[in-house]
Amino acid sequence: MLSIIKLRVLRLREDYWIYLIMMIMAFGLTVIFGVSFDDYKPTVLIVDENKSSYSKNLTSELGRNEAFEFVESSWEDAVEQVREGKVLAAVLIEEGFETSVKAGDSVPLGMMRLKEDTLLLTLKQLLTTSASKMTGGVRIAEITADYIVANHPTADRDTVRDTAYHSVIEGWEYKNPISVASAIINTNAGSDYDSLKHSMIGFSLFFSMYTMVFGIGTILYDKQYRTWQRMMITPVSKASILGGSMIVTYFAGALQLGILVLAGKYLLDIDWGSSMAGILLVVAAFIFSTTAMGLLLSGLVKTQAQLSSITPVLLTSTSMLGGCMWPLDIVNNKILLFLAQLTPQKWAMQGMENIASKGMGFEAAVIPTLVLVAMGLIFSVAGVKLVKQV
Amino acid sequence: MLKVENLQKNFGNIMAVDGISFEVRKGEVFGLLGPNGAGKSTTISVLSTLLPPSDGVVLFEGKNIFEEPKAIQSKLGVVPQDIALYPTLSGYENLSFWGNLYGLTGRELKKRIEEVCEIIGLSERIKDRVDKYSGGMKRRLNIGAALLHMPELLIMDEPTVGIDPQSRNHILDTVLELNRQGMTIIYTSHYMEEVEYLCSRICIMDQGKIIAAGSKDELVEMISGKTEIALLLESMDQEIVKTVGSIKGIDSMVHQENQILIRCENADMILADIIASITASGNHLRSVDVKKPNLEAVFLHLTGKALRD
Ligand SMILES: Nc1ncnc2c1ncn2[C@@H]1O[C@H](COP(=O)(O)OP(=O)(O)OP(=O)(O)O)[C@@H](O)[C@H]1O
Ligand SMILES: [Mg+2]
Repeated sequence: MLSIIKLRVLRLREDYWIYLIMMIMAFGLTVIFGVSFDDYKPTVLIVDENKSSYSKNLTSELGRNEAFEFVESSWEDAVEQVREGKVLAAVLIEEGFETSVKAGDSVPLGMMRLKEDTLLLTLKQLLTTSASKMTGGVRIAEITADYIVANHPTADRDTVRDTAYHSVIEGWEYKNPISVASAIINTNAGSDYDSLKHSMIGFSLFFSMYTMVFGIGTILYDKQYRTWQRMMITPVSKASILGGSMIVTYFAGALQLGILVLAGKYLLDIDWGSSMAGILLVVAAFIFSTTAMGLLLSGLVKTQAQLSSITPVLLTSTSMLGGCMWPLDIVNNKILLFLAQLTPQKWAMQGMENIASKGMGFEAAVIPTLVLVAMGLIFSVAGVKLVKQV
Repeated sequence: MLKVENLQKNFGNIMAVDGISFEVRKGEVFGLLGPNGAGKSTTISVLSTLLPPSDGVVLFEGKNIFEEPKAIQSKLGVVPQDIALYPTLSGYENLSFWGNLYGLTGRELKKRIEEVCEIIGLSERIKDRVDKYSGGMKRRLNIGAALLHMPELLIMDEPTVGIDPQSRNHILDTVLELNRQGMTIIYTSHYMEEVEYLCSRICIMDQGKIIAAGSKDELVEMISGKTEIALLLESMDQEIVKTVGSIKGIDSMVHQENQILIRCENADMILADIIASITASGNHLRSVDVKKPNLEAVFLHLTGKALRD
């Protein structure tokens, strides 16, 4: 086994540049997507056709949000800018807004947009939350005002109602558990999605998988150069040859992901959350499952060329499914979500994001780690069976 | 040392090895001769535990190698037909790796690598990358990798394919030297000269079967052991038949049209006499063909086809 480890390490000197390239890709794309995405605040126009105190309240409520730049505009301007793609979307507060809010009906809000975009989902969500927060506040304020005026006929109903409304909204501000959480983990859009971290984790996992799969795929190189067959007739067993090969691939992968995690921390200032141990545990399990997946693939194909052609297809599609590219929160197709469960990427993303972005502790690492280890074991057993003597 | 009984190996419909039996004795160079596709490499793959047999038994020092593969693996060295080395590593790194796999380490490994380099004559270039080697050097390193652990039994599968005569002679002499030091060797080839030169006992394989076996002399004996001289004359007459027929040392003679076929023990002795008597009679000799009995002839005799196309 030691001899195999020595051989694999020796042969790494031919492949170190692949590791470098993959790390640079992961890091570079994180910087490009993560950071620019983070700084970029899409503009959303607000067309207020209602012009009541209610619509103003909604406008100022939306303005609190940091993910979008809200600008008031006229209807004509809005139509033009949306059409020209200068703004992400325009929100239309229709004339019946005040009446609907007072009556407690569903509030009429329109949205103009040119194309579908994942950002629009965030915007829609934001509109719904803000509007319902506001209508809720208004209802509470109205009831409070009615109650106070009934008991103190001297009180000015409008003042009472305004005061009550603002108390309610402020109450949200300081007591809303979601807001408090988001203050700690410093996210935008009031959600717990952090695009920089997501990019960092997603790209790191995605690109490191290549080097791991190709790393263990070296046994196909051995077959091509007939050294595999030569190894098979030595007193060293197939299991220890594969074991030794997996160990080296494993540690090369661990080194690579370790560097990426540290680079994220020190170069991009990424806060990996409260449990570094949890992050590392998930990463460790992920590397095992991916190496084992590489072994299985190497058992399924005959040559390195075949491995090179199926790997990108497989890794890209499972990474998309598993949420390395975009968050699974925006996926609502049941079949896709089910398929996601079958990819190691999904579990690694989940474990790492829960700790790094959602402020969870070590416990968030446990289930993903177990699932990844189980996957790794299944892949390994199948792989060892499928990799033939000749 | 090695006993093969009724060994069979098929790949789907192809019967690569079709029930062969032979025995290799300790200390001999055993030859396995056969044309392309005869099943030599397949036999070796089975003997070296790389492939499971379809049927049959192989005993190494009395132990069934399919039940106890470890029994043979550590004492066996195999030189594969296709070069099996890491091209991007140096010769030294390759040898060191293969030595490691047989449990050699440290000073012992270093010493063995030096000795093997001597044997294969690669000491000077051993630190170079293998992909910078010539074909013959790769072949020699390919042999060296099988020698590190001083195997008791060495199987060589066409170790001289595609190399220059000089390297080839070096390899053949290496084989004899290793054998002289006590190594038992199974030598596979489709060059009958090599097998004739090296081997004490020979099996001839064709289409998965052993068609003849024995020492070289025994095999040659099978086709009566006589040299054949074929003379092609300008014209044929009774005179000439009589003159040639009276030359001493000829065992038998037949003639047909313009050709005379002579069988004798030793062609060198009488060839000059034959030519002289024909010239003296005023006839003209168009061609002389001397066919020494060799394995090629044996093979031709047994299968009706040439060993090499
Ligand atoms: N892996 C395999 N799959 C299918 N058929 C095979 C396989 N290996 C060998 N054969 C077939 O078995 C037969 C014997 O092949 P083998 O390589 O043993 O011949 P050989 O005597 O070594 O020939 P050569 O002198 O060309 O090396 C051939 O017909 C070959 O096509
Ligand atoms: Mg062969």
